[in-house]
Parts: sequence; C-alpha cells; structure tokens
Amino acid sequence: MSRKFVDLNLRLSLRDLNKTRKMLEKAYELGYSLVASSLSPNVNKEDVDIIQKLCSDIGIDFVTRVDLTPKTRKDLLGYLRRLRRKFEIICVRCVSKVIARQAAKDRRVDLLVFPSLDPRKRFFDFQEAELASSALASLEIPIAPFILSSGSPRVRLLSYLRRETMVAVKFNVPVVISSGASEVWLMRKPRELAILATLFDLDFPIALDGVSKIPISIVERNRKKLSPNFIAPGIQLIKRGKNCS
Amino acid sequence: MINRRRPRYIALKIESEGIFDRKTFLNKVWDSLTRLYGEYGASKAGLVLVNYTPKKGFAILRCNHKALLMVRAATATITSIDEEHVAVHVLAVSGTLKALRRKISEHGRLKCGGTI
Repeated sequence: MSRKFVDLNLRLSLRDLNKTRKMLEKAYELGYSLVASSLSPNVNKEDVDIIQKLCSDIGIDFVTRVDLTPKTRKDLLGYLRRLRRKFEIICVRCVSKVIARQAAKDRRVDLLVFPSLDPRKRFFDFQEAELASSALASLEIPIAPFILSSGSPRVRLLSYLRRETMVAVKFNVPVVISSGASEVWLMRKPRELAILATLFDLDFPIALDGVSKIPISIVERNRKKLSPNFIAPGIQLIKRGKNCS
Repeated sequence: MINRRRPRYIALKIESEGIFDRKTFLNKVWDSLTRLYGEYGASKAGLVLVNYTPKKGFAILRCNHKALLMVRAATATITSIDEEHVAVHVLAVSGTLKALRRKISEHGRLKCGGTI
C-alpha cells in the first residue's frame, strides 16, 4: 500500500479563494492526500465549509488547525479550554519559556513551533522534550523559513534545527515536517520536504514519517476524540438506539 | 579497486512564469548546491545537465548516486531565477535514461505533453 502524505501547515487565504484553489490543486498534484491550514480562532463555520467544499471538489482531505500565540500561561489555558473541541489540530507558537513548558505538558496541545531565530527564544531543550514526550505534543518544523533564508540566518537556523531534532529523537518526541508555504512556488513534494529535513541530521525514514505516518496519527487521534461517539480514552459508543442488547 | 561510477538521472519540472536559458538554470543549480554543501561537497556531485527544454519547463540532470540526496535538496531550495519565482519538482529518478523516460511516460507525470 502506498504512503499517504500530509502537509499540516499550508497557509491558505480565506480572502483570495482563487489562490487557495490553486494551492490546493497543487497540493493534490504533488501527492498530498490531506492538508491542514491555520485558521483564525474566531473563524466562521461558513468559511471553513467553503474550504472544505474546495478540498472535496479537488479530492483532498482538509483538517482545521489553529495556531495560538499566547502571552501568558493563563491565556494559553483559556484558549485551550475554548478551542480544543472546535479545531482538529492545535499548534502553540512558543514565544516564551513559560508558554513552551505549559504547552509541552498539556495533553490538549498537538504541535509545538519555535518561530524565533533568536537562540535565547528557542526553548526546545532536554526539559521541554521530556515534558513533551510524556504528553502528546510533537515538534513541528516548517520548511519554508529554511528555503527562504540564505547566508548566516540559514546557517544559524540549520544549527538550531539540528540540535532540536537531536533532542526530539533522543526523547522520542515525534517530529512533524510541514511546508509552511503561503505561495504555490514555496510548495514542495513530500519526499523533497523529507530530504530537506535530512539536512538537520534527521534520518530519511524518520523524516518521511514526519510527512506521513506521524501527522496522520495525530489527525486520526483527534478526529476520534472529537467524534460524538467518543466517551473517554479506550471507551467508545459503537451503537445507539433501542435494540442495543 | 575499481572506482565504479553509478549515475543517477533526475527528471525535473521547472515551474515559473519566466523562461530561462540553459546556462542560467544550470548556474542556479550549482549556486544552490555550493550554498548548501560548499565547494568541496558540490565537487562530489558530478552534476551535468543532460537535457533542458525551457519552453516545457523540463530538465534532466545527471549526478553520482552518492550525491543524489544532495542534488535533490539543492533543487528543492531553489525559489527564484532572474528575480522570477521558481519551484523545481522532481518527476522521477533512475539509473538509466531509458528507464527514466519509461518511468515518466508510464506514470503520465509529464503534463506538458510529448516526448522528452
């Protein structure tokens, strides 16, 4: 059976549906069967339905995702309480150590992203990885910033990513590779993303899992939890009605 | 010991609104390769542009089999040529040109039509 590939970070625009359609068609052409796009926490259901309709026309599965950038721990907990049942994927952009630690240990968080290029603001260290490994969070690495950078910023980014993936692999924290593409020309085939991930010393099979098996397992787990038949981990409603004997 | 050279042929699709000549494209691939791996690393690639059809946005590169991942990574990092946005996608990889052509025609991945 051939692999299914996933891009969990496609930056689609709700304002420009023509561009969104082009990007989704390109994702399908490149071999992705499932894509996720970051939506605003206050997004309307109609807007989500429009993208879902576009995706189903093209033949691609769409996953709702929200990127949270909380300033305090209290903000993060408030967002998670409010949004966990609304979105299939929750990603936290860790801009401070307090947020990074809280996000890593909270089982409602799916993805951790470290957007800053400042070494003092990249908090994915041994302690963070240990917290993430005992919860459900994965480390997300968007490839677009790497492709777009050059010279010393690229060298620095490579060095940080190499250290972070080494820590993640050591503590069995899953690594998700995504495109982070906001334009069609920034989109790459899944195997190309995996090959780029080998530049930060991730083994090719692990990198390939990062664009297929790992994101698929995250989406399946969350869809199961969001289904009305889910009661608790391991307990699921399999039949309703009067003849349930 | 026999130093066997095992080539790999890479079919590429170049997506851009602009059209570039052979030299410009090859220079960009070399530039990308040297930026990622340095002059020493790039010297191991044995890179040759075998075929280039600018109007169809199609190219075939040859490299050493050990440098395949390097060349694929280098082509994936190309984002612009002559200030035009570009995306270079790998269509197929093979050990012989004959097999490469067969792979492309079998899978119908060459959307621009015609033979290579």
